[in-house]
Amino acid sequence: MSAESLLVNVEERGAAGDATDEFMRRMLKLPMGDKLLSCIQCGMCSGSCPLGYAMDYTPRKMIAALRAGRVDDLYRSEAIWLCVACFNCTYRCPVGVPITDRLIAGLREELLGRGVGVPPELQAAFERTSRYGNPFGESSKKRDAWIEDAGVEVPVLQGGDSAEVLWWVGCFGSYNKRNQKDTIALARILHALDIDFGILGTDERCSGDLRCTSQGEEGLFDVLYHHNIEQLGKRKFKEILVGDPHAFNAFNKEYRRLGTPLDVSHYTQFLAERAPDLKRRAKKEITAKVAYHDSCCLGRRNGEYEAPRVLLETIPGVRLVEMPRNRENALCCGGGGGANWLDSYVWQRTRVPLAMQRVQEAAKTGAEILAISCPLEVPRFEDAIKTSGLEGRLQVREISHMLAEAIGLNGGVRP
Amino acid sequence: MKIAVVLRQVPDVVEELVIADDGRSLAEGEVMCITNEADEHALEEALILKSRQGGKVTAVAAGGDEAKDALATAVAKGADEAILVAVPFEHRGDNVRLASVLGPAMKSAGYDLILTGVWAADQMDAGLAGLLAVHLSLPYVGGVMSVSLEPSGAKGLVRKEFPGGRLGVMEVSLPAVLGIQSAEQPPRYVPVSKVMQAKRTLQVREQAEPSPVVQGIRASKLIKSGSAAKAEMLPGDAKQVAEQIVRILRERGIA
Repeated sequence: MSAESLLVNVEERGAAGDATDEFMRRMLKLPMGDKLLSCIQCGMCSGSCPLGYAMDYTPRKMIAALRAGRVDDLYRSEAIWLCVACFNCTYRCPVGVPITDRLIAGLREELLGRGVGVPPELQAAFERTSRYGNPFGESSKKRDAWIEDAGVEVPVLQGGDSAEVLWWVGCFGSYNKRNQKDTIALARILHALDIDFGILGTDERCSGDLRCTSQGEEGLFDVLYHHNIEQLGKRKFKEILVGDPHAFNAFNKEYRRLGTPLDVSHYTQFLAERAPDLKRRAKKEITAKVAYHDSCCLGRRNGEYEAPRVLLETIPGVRLVEMPRNRENALCCGGGGGANWLDSYVWQRTRVPLAMQRVQEAAKTGAEILAISCPLEVPRFEDAIKTSGLEGRLQVREISHMLAEAIGLNGGVRP
Repeated sequence: MKIAVVLRQVPDVVEELVIADDGRSLAEGEVMCITNEADEHALEEALILKSRQGGKVTAVAAGGDEAKDALATAVAKGADEAILVAVPFEHRGDNVRLASVLGPAMKSAGYDLILTGVWAADQMDAGLAGLLAVHLSLPYVGGVMSVSLEPSGAKGLVRKEFPGGRLGVMEVSLPAVLGIQSAEQPPRYVPVSKVMQAKRTLQVREQAEPSPVVQGIRASKLIKSGSAAKAEMLPGDAKQVAEQIVRILRERGIA
């Protein structure tokens, strides 16, 4: 079906189809938006959605409703806010419909525009990000306060300064007390490897991944994007290093699409390139069975499955085991696409948090450490371990923190 | 129905508050302003009334230039008109003074209803709404949690919260001034694109009122609150911890 024929059909249906028509026109203007018309209604998306069972409208039914000119039914559906942006549907769709980034984001954007039905926790996260540049509502002046505890020099690049590598620390890595330990571990590794790096300090704001991960707050993304590229433009650097896979996605895909191509790598990729050097330095054993959880944003969304595993293998004593659902089949932690701020909303409608399912899966492999590469997963999985009664049996550890321990960099002030 | 809402700009306590050299005021240059939370609820209630009954909502910001952002957000949410009443930073926490500036600014506009938050984060004295009512010779109810208006526009029915969890329903003749405790629903979300659009097209009527000579209150000293005694974790197993708890309770004469 061509774009025109769908629109003509919609127009023939008359007034009832107007809202659908308007929605489709908006979709067709976006890159890959026309792919929505290629849906073959196979249901692969709905079947692979980890929360599809709780949705009155699964992705397949959403597209069917659009074809029936009934977008208003979708605007009334709670399914719109149940998406956790795990990208299973997008990854598995045989015809490449960008379900998460276009369909779900488009529906959310419409509801945000009307100001109705936006779950309050998510609304608060948006408002805080808009005002303070981070979803926690912390002062932007305190963004780099963690460097006092780093124990190594962390250069803050001012306008006009330059460094080989600009390290984008991200909101979780900057503000969350638990994530700060892993941030400091990475700072010490970069220092030990003699990397010429610097951070933006208090000039850094949320990368704007909010929108990229399909929350649908287009205007907020735009403001953050412009702030960040202006600040990046004031410093000279060759590449960007990020700790958060969501920021990686923002720079890798969205900033590029908007005309700011940046040479960006996730820290696991950056360090994996230096694996032989790290292996020589990693003397201290971490004797444990380790299961690695593929984050959706780094894995399915950006195709990186190997770098984190390469790094774990540089650590002496680590025995890597795989969970049954690994790599492109990994189960989501439930925190993507703004769902980190929709926990109670999702819980009320599903009752079985994805993070709990995931830590139980990890424990079943006999793993003692659940290694992760995305900062959101630390608080999410640690909470899930407590509620699953797995405390003392399973630990959640960021790969950077494990590496720093193996190299003998932990200890001292914080980590 | 003409509804006015006062949006006070108060210091944002997320940012560190710095005491000025005089030792009795905040360093203005270090302060980031934010719309007073209860005033956000007043705006929400006004917008709810507008959607229910129709009418025109006027947002009246009291503050400096930064208040224009608050006005743009209010317009993006659905306010029809934006007025800025300039109030010098040092006078904003003094509601007697604030009322004497806002009163004349709102007097002749013919509002049927004037809403303010029942409290403000920086207020040094009684609620603004009651003082405004005195200036305008209008009835006043504070601690209001919902408002419904008669179609004729002559009367309103308000629900007011009393201490002890009791709720009162009272009738008030219009025009009136209401101090809003909380709106019937949490303040609505407005996407950033709409705020940006409102900022570009915002028309603010700036109303300069002569600063009246008012015998207000004067802060003599500002101090930062000290940290309270730190929590002490009792070490040991359950038995040891229990023994320590018993000892502590005995020492303090509690048990």
